Amino acid sequence: MTILIVLLSLAVGAYLIAVLESWAVHGRLQPARPAISALALLGRESLLARTPDRLLFETGPVLLLVAGLLAVAVIPLAPGLIITDMATGALFLNAALAYVLVALIMAGWGPNGAYGMIGGWRFLGQFVAYAMLIVMPITAVVLRAESLSTVDIVTSQSSLWNIAYQPLGFALFVAAAMGLCWLPPLDLPTAPGDLAGGVEAEYTGVRFAVLRLARMVIILALAGATVTFYLGGWLGPWLPDWAWSGIKILIVAGLMVSAGRLVPRVRETRYLELSWKLGIPLALGNIFLVGVIVLVVPI
Amino acid sequence: MTSQMIFLVFFGGAAVWFGVTVFRTHSMVRSALALLFSQTAVGLMFLVMQAEFLGVLQIMMMATEMSVMAIFMVMFMMDPGGMGAMDMTHQKRLSLWAGGVGLGAAMAVIWLADWGPPGGNLPETAEQTAELGRELLGRSMFIFQSVGLTILTAMVSATMVAIAPAKEQPK
Amino acid sequence: MIFELMIALTVGAVMFGTGLYGALSQTNLVMIIMGVELILAAALVNLVAFWRYLHPGEPAAQMFVLVVMAVMAVEMAVGFGIAIARFRSRGSVEMEEASELKG
Repeated sequence: MTILIVLLSLAVGAYLIAVLESWAVHGRLQPARPAISALALLGRESLLARTPDRLLFETGPVLLLVAGLLAVAVIPLAPGLIITDMATGALFLNAALAYVLVALIMAGWGPNGAYGMIGGWRFLGQFVAYAMLIVMPITAVVLRAESLSTVDIVTSQSSLWNIAYQPLGFALFVAAAMGLCWLPPLDLPTAPGDLAGGVEAEYTGVRFAVLRLARMVIILALAGATVTFYLGGWLGPWLPDWAWSGIKILIVAGLMVSAGRLVPRVRETRYLELSWKLGIPLALGNIFLVGVIVLVVPI
Repeated sequence: MTSQMIFLVFFGGAAVWFGVTVFRTHSMVRSALALLFSQTAVGLMFLVMQAEFLGVLQIMMMATEMSVMAIFMVMFMMDPGGMGAMDMTHQKRLSLWAGGVGLGAAMAVIWLADWGPPGGNLPETAEQTAELGRELLGRSMFIFQSVGLTILTAMVSATMVAIAPAKEQPK
Repeated sequence: MIFELMIALTVGAVMFGTGLYGALSQTNLVMIIMGVELILAAALVNLVAFWRYLHPGEPAAQMFVLVVMAVMAVEMAVGFGIAIARFRSRGSVEMEEASELKG
């Protein structure tokens, strides 16, 4: 029952984020656009590349969707509303999202096309940049909660949200999360101008619909993770728990989707440089700082 | 037949099958991805055996490591797509014998030894992780520190070896 | 006779045999490293099986697994660094052609 409720809210959330993203891209609010384009994609012809690696071509988008759904499974929407409350939930989220990389490599290599392949391998460069940067703020959050379970992480923020307790970790986590779900300005795998669509270029029809749906699920999973780790999950004054989670996740996902479009695309060399020379020392400093504060300050 | 046994057979079979696929397929990228899924099956076996932290860690680390291996294969191998169907092995009989002898010796030890009674009281997952943390930072602190130092040394040395030497200035 | 233990150990043994065959029979350095990764994964399976079925209350076994995982990562990193350097100087990482110090 909880699984159905969570998946239903995921579907509604994905639809709303798709509407927001089309508003950010096209400048007009069209509530029916995702439904119409989904139906159109399902009806369109599926063009296949000439000599694809069939197994990898088919498996790429499906693995992307599976990775997104597994990541959503450990995000708590309310104290009892979580698909599986694993004792190592925060780490499991990261493990599921590591398969986004595998899926994009498969989707890039499978169709046997130059632009897709380059998009896939460029995502590997982006991955080396954000992989360490996403684990270290999670470590600092877990340090405060003294548990890896996502429910415990939310309840540990009942006195003060982590965004006020660890603002540096929040900034680094969001920077890494935008690299993970390849939102602009870090959208190298599917760069619309540079690589003529990159990884998404060779996919048409049903497979393209699965790819876009998987991307929405991953964006929601990451927004959910940001809300769980830093913005207090379901904690809030008057509304019921699930309403607070929903509002917070939608706001964060909306900001992630629209705010990055104001900045030009960041090359993976620049992202790598910033992440390893600036981001990781700051993340390590953040862990140290949070450790000292946890031991000294009694909140 | 407990459910644990069924899942162990399933994931173990998947790990072995993917492991054999690594050396049988001609496409290099498929070979790297088969190794990735073999390691994922090993991680899932850890989860079945209720070592949750280790299982999740294995799944996460191996996804990233094997993807890096995939790009290195594309860089260094002659035929990454596998369309040429080349045979890239040498000393086949020796290695088959070595693999067979290793497998036979291991199986002999496994099935002929008396492993003793099953150990009791498996702790809860959260407690397992907490105990592992206390062990890491308590009794095994020295091992932990030297592993960290080894990793740092390996990172620095690998980077230094891999950086191209700067062009010499004409004298 | 703990059957789950036997199954896990058998899986480890078969992976070890496959990895050993691969490490000895392949000519390319990257494939050899892949064989070694299979051997180390087999060792990990054995370690976790022994921990779970014979000594579940002992966290030191999990510590051992972490050390082996760290060694896997380190060996792969250094191996690939050497592969890059060799590729840059010779143009290939085939082990058949690496006979400069022979004889």
